[in-house]
Amino acid sequence: MTHPPAPEAIIRALREYSPRSLNIMEVCGTHTVSAFRSGVRSVLPEGYRLISGPGCPVCVTSQGQIDGAVALADVPDAIVLTYGDMLRVPGSNGSLADARARGRDVRVVTSAMEAPDIALASPGRQVVFLAAGFETTAPATAAMLSEAAGRGLRNLSILCLHKRTPPAVRALLEDAALGIDALILPGHVCVILGHAPFLFISEQYERPCVIAGFSAESMLLGVLDLTIQRARGETALHSVYPDAVKSEGNRKATELMDRAFVPCDSVWRGLGKISSSGMRLAPSLKDFDAELRFGVSPGEPPEPRGCRCGDVLRGRITPPECPLFRTTCTPAAPVGPCMVSSEGTCGAYFRFYKGGTVAWEIS
Amino acid sequence: MGDFLTLGHGSGGRLTNDLVRRITSVFPAPETPSAFEDCAYLPDGYAMTLDGFTVSPRVFPGGDIGKLSICGSVNDLAVRGVRPEWIAMGLILEEGIAEEEVIGYMRSAALVCKELGITLTCGDTKVVPHGAADGVFITTCATGRRETARNLGMHALRPGDHLILSRSYGRHGATIAAQRFDLDVPGLASDCAPLWEPARALLDIGGLRCMRDCTRGGTGTVLCEWAEGAGVGIEIREDDLPRDPDVLSVCDILGFDPLYLACEGCMIVAVSAEDADTVLSRLAQFAPCSGAADIGVVTEGHPGLVGMRTHIGGHRVVDMPVGEILPRIC
Repeated sequence: MTHPPAPEAIIRALREYSPRSLNIMEVCGTHTVSAFRSGVRSVLPEGYRLISGPGCPVCVTSQGQIDGAVALADVPDAIVLTYGDMLRVPGSNGSLADARARGRDVRVVTSAMEAPDIALASPGRQVVFLAAGFETTAPATAAMLSEAAGRGLRNLSILCLHKRTPPAVRALLEDAALGIDALILPGHVCVILGHAPFLFISEQYERPCVIAGFSAESMLLGVLDLTIQRARGETALHSVYPDAVKSEGNRKATELMDRAFVPCDSVWRGLGKISSSGMRLAPSLKDFDAELRFGVSPGEPPEPRGCRCGDVLRGRITPPECPLFRTTCTPAAPVGPCMVSSEGTCGAYFRFYKGGTVAWEIS
Repeated sequence: MGDFLTLGHGSGGRLTNDLVRRITSVFPAPETPSAFEDCAYLPDGYAMTLDGFTVSPRVFPGGDIGKLSICGSVNDLAVRGVRPEWIAMGLILEEGIAEEEVIGYMRSAALVCKELGITLTCGDTKVVPHGAADGVFITTCATGRRETARNLGMHALRPGDHLILSRSYGRHGATIAAQRFDLDVPGLASDCAPLWEPARALLDIGGLRCMRDCTRGGTGTVLCEWAEGAGVGIEIREDDLPRDPDVLSVCDILGFDPLYLACEGCMIVAVSAEDADTVLSRLAQFAPCSGAADIGVVTEGHPGLVGMRTHIGGHRVVDMPVGEILPRIC
């Protein structure tokens, strides 16, 4: 494995190029958190602005879908399995954590593959897995379903919340008011999808983009790559994560996904309906569809008044510019999705950004 | 979060602090307030603390709920300079649990008591119907006498003080998380251990300000409580934090920040700059503190705020966590 150059060297190089202004969107929430945790913004020379995009699967799960999940938890004898950070997302009637506090059986899992064992160990009860996440978790859901089908599990189903990254990025780039010059693409999504599904960014929308890993060093290297592309007037898709990302992606994972899911329109919280950005279970797997099995159909309740998560997700404003930020919207009582998840832009700003510049004493 | 308590209220961060404030506000304020310190100083040199233990799983690498129930209370006394002498224990047991299992936990507890010369003075044992408790809940109340006349507490923090962390942090939280989420991390074990001996070795150091064991909420939460409670700024250096690769690997998988993971045998010591090296050399004599490190300073600037100089030379805020610490999706 190759190691990126030392951060000091990258930062020095960034200072040498020093563009007048470069607005970079990091699409993925994991990049957002990594940037905050490691203080990436604080080492970028003036002129750089990192804008956090819609890449936190919890944040963009629509309120209607959360309502659907809570309704499933209310089904008698149901066991709802969820990835952890989905627990606190507020729906119209509270969150899954509230449902658990009311005595509903809501359990946190870290992998889809736990679902079949739990279903097998719980005869007479209905186990519903909330299948959330992008192309990084969808292959695991697909593999789990194929195992569940093989084992003939009749008490297991999924609420399919999976979303596809490229259509959302395309929808953002269609927005003329979007002030994004360049993009950092999520390394783990590209490990699965490869380069091809993202080439439209540089080819059609003429924005330089770079696939980066999640360490601070890899992000900084990505910023440097974008800076150099910009200085040379290039628009290409590069990767600074070459050890992990093959340009063709992970064929096996994409085949699993393609067999299990078909693209469908999907509502992203804050962004609205985006064509072909969701995943629906393929007809051969419709027996596993919790919406059909329990007659739960997510409606689309209006988003909370005053919440500007949509503008945050589009990079139009930073969280402190939202009137609800830190006043009525806090991690303890989140109004909008971006405040909920540890990877949400507003949550990250709340935890790591204290307004203005703090004069730190250790330098 | 509405009118129900959620698990977030019990996770040791902001929600817990707010809930405890609401609970204690019902009572008249004590004459010698010890709010948000680990134990209360009583008249005539006595001190007292109480802690409840509900850990799941009850047995984990590095300990079990019995050992934990003594170490937890002992450490709350130790960090305020109090020799633990007496323990009272309350047991809430769920019907159906094997007696042998319960006795096993008591043996673990007794072992720590013996090591420290602590007497079990009184207790209470209840058995509740199946489902009314999760196996074994233990509450311990530890009492002892102060071995220093100084009031060790966050009020003593001064700008310029150094902060010493006694060992790598987050081990208990990472161990429990690995068990709960079925991660196989050989070599990872809880740091569960009594801190009385190392704490005691520091009591005669003139520049000693205060100590805290970093339990629920982790190192980050303790630093935030100090900064907010004492109205000082705090800055730590990421490169100087004694980090443990096993803890970091669990954090990588689950998306946790190790600063907020619980420890059960790790403390932060605040000491004047001139006595910082003395603290380090004294701690080095105790095996559980062999990785002690000087991690940062108390500052005059940005009162109430904790900052960290990161390994890439940047800065970030270290904030108190809110709610339950949850594994993320990807």
